[in-house]
Amino acid sequence: MATAGKVIKCKAAVAWEPNKPLVIEEIEVAPPQKNEIRIKVAASGMCHSDLYYLFEAKNSAGFPIVLGHEGAGVVESVGPGVTEFKPGDKVIPLGAYRCGECRLCKNPETNMCEKCWSNIESAQMSSSDTRFSCRGKPVLQFVGTSTFSEYTVLNQIAITKIHPDARLDRVCLFACSFCTGYGAAVNTAKVCAALKVQPGSVCAVFGMGAVGLAAVMGCKSAGASRIIAVDINEEKFEKAKIFGATDFVNPKAHQKPISEVLIEMTNGGVDYSLECVGDVTVMRSALESVVKGWGVAVIVGWNNVEDVSTRPVQLIAGRTLKGSMFGGYIGKESIPKLVLDHMAGRLNLDEFVTHTVKMDKINDVVELMKKGKCIRAIINISK
Amino acid sequence: MMLVCLSVLQVIRCKAAVAWEVGKPLSIEEVEVAPPKAHEVRIKVEASGVCHTDWAYLYECGKGMAPRTFPLILGHEGAGVVESIGPGVLGFSPGDKVIPLFLPQCKQCECCLSSKSNLCSENWENTQQGVLADGTSRITCRGQQVYQFIGVSTFSEYTVVPEHNITKIHPDAPLDRVCLLGCGVATGYGAVLNTGKVEAGSVCAVFGLGAVGLAAVMGCRNAGASRIIGVDINPDKLEIAKKFGVTEFINPKDHSKPIQEVLRERTGGGPDYSFECVGNVAVMRAALESCKPAWGTCVIVGWTELEDMSLAPIDLLLGRTLKGTYFGGWKSVDGVPRLVEDYLSGRLLLDEFVTHTLPLDQINQAFELLISGKRHYICPTTPRHPLLYMCLATFKEGKKEKERK
Repeated sequence: MATAGKVIKCKAAVAWEPNKPLVIEEIEVAPPQKNEIRIKVAASGMCHSDLYYLFEAKNSAGFPIVLGHEGAGVVESVGPGVTEFKPGDKVIPLGAYRCGECRLCKNPETNMCEKCWSNIESAQMSSSDTRFSCRGKPVLQFVGTSTFSEYTVLNQIAITKIHPDARLDRVCLFACSFCTGYGAAVNTAKVCAALKVQPGSVCAVFGMGAVGLAAVMGCKSAGASRIIAVDINEEKFEKAKIFGATDFVNPKAHQKPISEVLIEMTNGGVDYSLECVGDVTVMRSALESVVKGWGVAVIVGWNNVEDVSTRPVQLIAGRTLKGSMFGGYIGKESIPKLVLDHMAGRLNLDEFVTHTVKMDKINDVVELMKKGKCIRAIINISK
Repeated sequence: MMLVCLSVLQVIRCKAAVAWEVGKPLSIEEVEVAPPKAHEVRIKVEASGVCHTDWAYLYECGKGMAPRTFPLILGHEGAGVVESIGPGVLGFSPGDKVIPLFLPQCKQCECCLSSKSNLCSENWENTQQGVLADGTSRITCRGQQVYQFIGVSTFSEYTVVPEHNITKIHPDAPLDRVCLLGCGVATGYGAVLNTGKVEAGSVCAVFGLGAVGLAAVMGCRNAGASRIIGVDINPDKLEIAKKFGVTEFINPKDHSKPIQEVLRERTGGGPDYSFECVGNVAVMRAALESCKPAWGTCVIVGWTELEDMSLAPIDLLLGRTLKGTYFGGWKSVDGVPRLVEDYLSGRLLLDEFVTHTLPLDQINQAFELLISGKRHYICPTTPRHPLLYMCLATFKEGKKEKERK
């Protein structure tokens, strides 16, 4: 490409400081260095994790930054040492990647990576070694991805190649919400149809955002007989039904705690619960709603600020509490396959998309997300 | 005092340690033990262990433990011999060696039919209240009903339990050892094998080296763990812990850094499994945070009822699993006899847990010894034997304890 080896000036939505609207700026994107790839971002979803960083993480040292991690695009140029990718390849960036060398990467029991962790656990969530600058200042790249920019640069371990016919303004959802929710159900919870004496498991999913809806889809695909959608916003129930939910509960419509309501509805508690909100009170309810003896509660929603509490007796009575990161998927291996499933019609992503906007309307999307008025707004990043 | 063993219809008068009220020492009394009703078995208790949970229900009610109704006979870790059976009881005859079980196994309820759980809840509400299926206990003292702690009550020369709360064991089993399988050793050992499911080569950490923790250490060794790190604030526990298989010992008080950090440093990121065998919510949190993110599993074994444990969601999001275990995950009626056989074959240790043997009359001293083991580090001037466990033998007057083989 004509731009190879050169700095690219392009549009990006920059977060200059916490709790302020994003600003559409012209930024400079440096060429890829060794083992790096520069991509032209076609489309991106906006995820509550982006908003969490902007509004709740309380970390002013991590700004200015370009957020966005749920994107898909096309390779523009590659740095020295890159052999797997070439300009024109369709790709999805990976916020959760694997280096392939650490002890965790060598263990098939997990999808984690020690190198990737140092991004996720640190307050910044982003390495200070950035390829972005704006008005002379370095601008951080959120979890090394930054898909709210027309161009971005990633290490080749943090990107995966997908089918050339993939529809980028849909498969971008595999970069985060879909895998996180669907995988939590099929990989982490291992929702299994033959769990109880009678066939079919009973599941509860707390939070009917994109992640929760993907979890509902995962529960259905794994053979659950009942999937209870729990949300304080009843407008979400219609979508939940389309994804496969069989029962719908609004905690605010009951005097009793939600865990008691669920226990009564299910003769003792659900077999699996998935918390897809990121609220520690909901996490507690999710644990207390599962049946004693074998119930499994999976925390999917992100919260690294508060603690969740429970009575130890809940665990002693046989409940298990787990967490799930990126749905337990190893992105590089699984995303290309999920893309093929989408292309073959086995996975429906259209129902997640409630809005489609251009990047200059990105702050409208922030407002929609804050009010719970959208599931996924696809932002068309590049023209 | 002569004990009548022949007539199944007779009330038996015998000795028991009665807890009249919270916070007061137990009182050795003569009690009346009624004959077993339908589906009940009356047992002559030969020996009982003293478990920290017994002490806690006497002295910590309202603080870490939900209150129980008094007067009460504690003790739940016993072994004995069937004296008589009630109508409808099959599978037991007078003279059978048995272990009473606070956790039943009815083999009909949903939990019993599932391979995933051991939490049979037959008669649960009743036994937690201290009564049997008809809502009453079989023990009285000075005209009052005396409640049977979790339906068992082994601090009594005789007791009556429901038929699914008792299991028959090998006739050669020494009762003053296998009684430990009625609670502590089964719980710790099973936490590792059934709940944690520790694989060979794993790195394990056990917090709290009382009987439950030592049994967990033994479980880790039998599972083939490559490293078993014992964690305890009492340095005297090291020697005995080595006998059970501990490969390293860490005293959190020797370090200024939190124990989680020390463990993570020593193990390249954290043990694969951690077991909390104390019953303290701060230790539970430390045990969870110690184990390796990505695949670490922490099992809560220690019991506390009223306090919450707290944890950071990110500790789970990064891949750890948090579980708990009750009675080591053993299905009680089926599991305990197999553990007895493991002891008889030498695979499972029990003798090493026993540090003291006392008659029932000295039960309050037994509690003192149990608790002093915890407070040892405060009073180093008069070092005592590291107290792990005790075995309490009840005697018929005038007869000696039989020689063990």
